Amino acid sequence: MKIPRLTILAPIAALVVLALFPLIGVPLSWLNYLFSFFIYLALANMWNLLAGYTGLICLCPHAFIGLAGYTMAIGTQVGMPFQVGLIAGAAVAAIFALVISYPVFRMKGIYFAIGTLVLPEVLKQWFNYWSPVGTVYQGGGAGYSVIGLAGFSLENKYLLALAIAAAAIFAVYMILRSKLGLGLTAIRDNENTAASSGVNIFRLKLSVFLIAAFIMGIAGAAYFIHNPKIQPAGGFSISWLLLPLMATVIGGEGTEEGPIIGAAIVTFLRFLLADYGAWSLFIQGIILVGVVVAMPQGIAGLLRQVGAYRFPQKLFQAAEGKIRKT
Amino acid sequence: MSETAVLSIDGVRKSFGGIHAIQNITFEVRAGEVLGLMGPNGAGKTTLLNLIAGVYRPDSGRILFQGKDITRCAPHKTCHLGIARTYQIPQPFTDLLVRDNLMVAAKYGNKRGDTLELDEILDLVDLLKQKDTMAGDLLTVSLKRLELARALASNPILILLDEVAAGSTEAELPRILDITRQVREMGKTIILVEHVMKVMVEAVDRIIVIDKGEKIAEGTPGEVMKDEKVLAAYFG
Amino acid sequence: MDISLIGLAAPIIRGIFLGGLYVVIALGLSLVFGVMKLINVAHGDLVILGSYLAWAIMGWLGIDPFLSLVVGVPLFFVLGFFVQKFIINRTFRISLDAALIACFGISIIVQSLLQIIWTPFNRSLLTDYRLNTFAVGPVTIQLRYLLNFVGGLAVMIAVREFLRRTYMGRAISAASQNEPVAERMGINPKRVYSFAFAIAMACAAVAGVLQGLTFSFSPASGPPFLIISFGVIILGGLGSIAGTFIGGMIFGLTQTLGAYLSGGSMMIQMLAPYLLVFVVLSVRPQGIFGR
Repeated sequence: MKIPRLTILAPIAALVVLALFPLIGVPLSWLNYLFSFFIYLALANMWNLLAGYTGLICLCPHAFIGLAGYTMAIGTQVGMPFQVGLIAGAAVAAIFALVISYPVFRMKGIYFAIGTLVLPEVLKQWFNYWSPVGTVYQGGGAGYSVIGLAGFSLENKYLLALAIAAAAIFAVYMILRSKLGLGLTAIRDNENTAASSGVNIFRLKLSVFLIAAFIMGIAGAAYFIHNPKIQPAGGFSISWLLLPLMATVIGGEGTEEGPIIGAAIVTFLRFLLADYGAWSLFIQGIILVGVVVAMPQGIAGLLRQVGAYRFPQKLFQAAEGKIRKT
Repeated sequence: MSETAVLSIDGVRKSFGGIHAIQNITFEVRAGEVLGLMGPNGAGKTTLLNLIAGVYRPDSGRILFQGKDITRCAPHKTCHLGIARTYQIPQPFTDLLVRDNLMVAAKYGNKRGDTLELDEILDLVDLLKQKDTMAGDLLTVSLKRLELARALASNPILILLDEVAAGSTEAELPRILDITRQVREMGKTIILVEHVMKVMVEAVDRIIVIDKGEKIAEGTPGEVMKDEKVLAAYFG
Repeated sequence: MDISLIGLAAPIIRGIFLGGLYVVIALGLSLVFGVMKLINVAHGDLVILGSYLAWAIMGWLGIDPFLSLVVGVPLFFVLGFFVQKFIINRTFRISLDAALIACFGISIIVQSLLQIIWTPFNRSLLTDYRLNTFAVGPVTIQLRYLLNFVGGLAVMIAVREFLRRTYMGRAISAASQNEPVAERMGINPKRVYSFAFAIAMACAAVAGVLQGLTFSFSPASGPPFLIISFGVIILGGLGSIAGTFIGGMIFGLTQTLGAYLSGGSMMIQMLAPYLLVFVVLSVRPQGIFGR
């Protein structure tokens, strides 16, 4: 029997262990914490895919998240089961990405960044005034609740988030090793050369954009299952942009493990500062500026520079060797 | 467009703001030939290449490639159809390995079926040993050859070479001529922009001279070198 | 809906005057972008910081907000100089993207700081003359709109003269047009950046006062102004001060006419400028006067 490489076995083992957490009686507070971590991880991975691997500094994750959340909330208000709402939310986010891609990808560099920044602001204003369903106490600034969640326990939410995070990591893994990944790296490296070598820049950027929008949407909607009230300010909050951006920058842009490290740190920070309101954002802002100035390669980048991976790599290889022999 | 023509430029014009970079140029490139493109600095040679490759769109006129109208085609499309180009100042993928530089062109540019042996291409341009080097670590001269290799990797029918010999020493010129000859023997058609006279005269079948965006001469190297208008354009 | 010529006159005049405010806000952004090719995404928040500072000084010393600029402008100038020198200049060594992210971090810092110190509730710069109106023919215009226009002109002229007549001003212009050449002529780019950002911040202080008189503001009011001022400089064309002026007018008109033609809809008033920005960005990013 062919033994797969340890670098594939290890994450799968971790996934299985994490999935068993609810069964083995891990405290609910842990599950709660890990829930947030998984959501943030999915978001960070997608932001990293866009910024770190494609060179698209996308300042609109909160557009996707808010849209997906609202779709699901409004959907449940009219009787849609939340599971369908989850997928519907992600789909709406992806469709939105598709629609705006035509104007937005005509913008290069900084123009693209600001162009994407406009979108969540527009949506925030829109949902501030829009009240498609519900009573006079709902919609507009008051927002909507997600209903029909009875019986969906914390354990279930935890597993949902775990599945989303795993899907995000898997998606990035597969993309990077595929032809698409090569094309994206080429685009990031030198767009003109990529185009003259046959890369359809628009189509590749669009593909990644749609994938990212979908997964960010589904992660966002899942968050609103756990916190079942969405309002314009919260759904389209700039905090949703800060989060994956920070996680990516701290963890290490353009690396695969960076977002995981970054998401862990950001989750920890958020829980630590949860009671401090605006101070939480303030401190996160300071950390972001500090990291960008002093450690722009992120933690993963730093680890690579000091060769920290060489020791575990040798360990892994030795272990693999021993396993093969037996 | 005549029977043997691979590329046909017909009445093409291009202006940038107030600058008329290309003013009504018409010529044909025959299949399998090496066509030299000459002219003083600023004549519009690179602009012409950019127009053919699809980086710029002509303001008027047509460009036909193997009978197909490619006037409004984007760069990736012209690459798919079989036009490859190199850049005057090399534009490699600096953070990719040499072989991955070719891989991009091979996977994305080659839409005509037959798979190429990338190692053979690297060998042709003497870069086989640097297959696993980062493109960003190569010397400028090697980068020029990488440009050519990358162009070849997309399995082109027509190659636009922009000053492939610039910066080379006297001793390196024969090798460049040799490589050009081998590419031609593969059945490719080449448009060669070159300032190094030795390469221009020995590698090409015909030359087109442009000055200030207009074609001022066309013919064999011998004919063109004696042309009064050409001498006037270069030496005033 | 009754659209008469007289009826249109008021929003048109108001729009043009309002444009003055947008010119002041956009000038700071334009200066930074012209010199460093960086869009300071914190710019809107810094303008609001200016509004809050004026509000605080007003409350503390009881003076007119324009007078508070005596403190505000130098303070912002120095602040901008050091932010550029110690933070943004360092990120340029890494990449332009890193600088953008740093600016975003600054935006978050400013927004949260404003919320900590002054709570999320709306504020306004309430002066005696704030609600004064005057007549232009049959149309009544609020004084503060005129102040915006005058302010816009004044700042624009001041900046233009500075760029023309002072050494640093000409250095900034030179670096905006061709940095490598400017450098070879002895101009230190990093120093130029610091001064440019400092001036941009000074403009933001003035803009903060004007803005605070015109609209009510809260810690989250920054991003809309960022988007609008970005739209202004893109529409007007980069590198053109006159273009920035025209761009400002157009955005002012978009808002006032949008509000008027939609019967006072707040949503249209807020969304119309955004839509314009988006359209300009995708259709003609080089703007009206742009090269």
